[in-house]
Amino acid sequence: MSTPAIEVRGLRREFRASQGLFAPPRRVVAVDDVSFSVPAGSVLGVVGESGCGKTTLARMILGLLEPSGGEVLVDGKRLEGMDRRARARLIQPVFQDPFSSLNPRRRVRDIIAMPLVAQGNVTTSEIDRRVAESLERVGLSTEQGTRFPSQLSGGQRQRVAIARALVLRPRIVVCDEPTSALDVSVQAQILNLLAELRRDLGLTYLFISHNLAVVEHVASEVAVMYLGRIVEKRESEALFRDPRHPYTRALLDSVLTPEPGLGVPDVGLGDIMPDPANIPSGCRFHPRCPACFAPCAATTPRITSLEDGLVECHLAG
Amino acid sequence: MSALLEVDDLRVTFGGTAAVRGISLTVEKGETHCLVGESGCGKSVTSLAVMGLLAKGGKREAARLSFAGDDIRYYDEKQMSRLRGDRMAMIFQEPMTSLNPAYTVGSQMTEVLRRHRGTPRAQAVDRAVELLTRVGITAPGLRLGQFPHQLSGGLRQRVMIAMALMCDPELLIADEPTTALDVTVQAQILRLLAELQKDLGLGILLITHDLGIVARVADRVSVMYAGEVVESAPTAELFRAPRHPYTRGLLSCVPVPGKVKRDEPLGSIPGVVPRIPPGFIGCAFRDRCSFAEAACAGPLPRRNVGPAHEMLCILPEGAGA
Repeated sequence: MSTPAIEVRGLRREFRASQGLFAPPRRVVAVDDVSFSVPAGSVLGVVGESGCGKTTLARMILGLLEPSGGEVLVDGKRLEGMDRRARARLIQPVFQDPFSSLNPRRRVRDIIAMPLVAQGNVTTSEIDRRVAESLERVGLSTEQGTRFPSQLSGGQRQRVAIARALVLRPRIVVCDEPTSALDVSVQAQILNLLAELRRDLGLTYLFISHNLAVVEHVASEVAVMYLGRIVEKRESEALFRDPRHPYTRALLDSVLTPEPGLGVPDVGLGDIMPDPANIPSGCRFHPRCPACFAPCAATTPRITSLEDGLVECHLAG
Repeated sequence: MSALLEVDDLRVTFGGTAAVRGISLTVEKGETHCLVGESGCGKSVTSLAVMGLLAKGGKREAARLSFAGDDIRYYDEKQMSRLRGDRMAMIFQEPMTSLNPAYTVGSQMTEVLRRHRGTPRAQAVDRAVELLTRVGITAPGLRLGQFPHQLSGGLRQRVMIAMALMCDPELLIADEPTTALDVTVQAQILRLLAELQKDLGLGILLITHDLGIVARVADRVSVMYAGEVVESAPTAELFRAPRHPYTRGLLSCVPVPGKVKRDEPLGSIPGVVPRIPPGFIGCAFRDRCSFAEAACAGPLPRRNVGPAHEMLCILPEGAGA
């Protein structure tokens, strides 16, 4: 068996949240004992509501945030202690907002060249060649390379962000809500581009999104996060056909498909909002769960292995 | 009997840019009319123009702009501000920026009633508690004493809705009211709006880019492109038989869960929304349209293509379907 592109073991991250000048800070567990692996060449989609820990997870995998516990292996190598430049050649990010993730005072081609320049050992002619190659890959012209980000549309800026991520020819790209700030027609262009790049370059994606339909379109496997835990992880097709966790089901039911006459669904989650600083006992989803029964409030559910994935719910046991 | 809101040939220009180029629409009592389109198509400017809230430099013209039968085109600022927040209420996209961070929820909510109606404080507080309960907020007494930053996004949006309802408005203009929220919360908020509409007979002008929302809540849809309504129809009709190439392109871009095929490209519309100078003639979509021909550069007819179904395109029936 080949080395997984990303492997995460018992990963945990805590933050201390200030409660005011004199109150003691509260411990917030953003990611709680998460383990999974992503085979090379596949796409793992991560979904969940805001505050579920998906961005914290992505930042730890990128090496931008130190875990409080557990470890991250990227292409079989431990991130801890790895040289920043070596890490950059292996794994690259594409972020949500192409308006704030690009330096407004630099030209597009300089933005794309930055990771190469930071490597320190690449010649100018090689940089020019690689930047031109990257621009072409994402469908931007040489002329657009001479502009500033403010002169480009949202979709073009996201293409710049993707070109910058690809210029070091990484194996793995972490996409954190890459299309959330874009219009639907542009979103479709970017998703198509990402799919094409994955096929042509054999990339592995960790793809974070709150939009389930987008995840279904790109991911081969999907992990559903709730308050820092992965509560269900399945092959994409199986998850969308037959979700096993009540939370996954609620998320799927909340998606408003463009089908008139169906009205807005009542997914039965109630009005209680998840609070990462105040994680409920037992199953952390139980206060909102429409299928909650006796053991849920008292006992933490164990992970149940399924043929095509895993789920963490008393009902699945 | 005239409609609650009637807009006829509304035009807005900002310097050398025509942001809204002759929009006509109506909102009846108890009806939800959705304005759908991508960023920069002029949908928010349309709503701001209706409310008389255009930014400096914006010029508004209209053949008719009436609210509950009254022509509001020549209302001065004082008359408009009496209307806004009272009979005509608004909800904006970002509840964090549209609530004042320096005042408690309670003082912002009661201010609406005290200003418009001169209601005594105690009564205004009672009304605020009643409405917070109505929008599904538990412990409303506690929330009244809190500041906006102490509330979650979903709660803030509920507060915004409750605040908009303080004076029993007849018309609610909601600009992307759920865009910043999680899907689960979005469903709750939209259900709430639908319920309130049924109970109170509100007319709603809902502005969104999300065709999923449109399909589920709208009675009537107007699709906007580059400052014009390019297609308008009852919701079921529009989704059953979209006619304008832009509407059809937009629909093909939306990934639908359960129907998407992995590794198959989504439909997409090439190019970007153009900037339209004043005096522009012809179809603004023609550079991105695969059916464009020479005639598209000339004046376009607004045609009836079905029951209450209009479009701004010369494409004959059945073409390109």
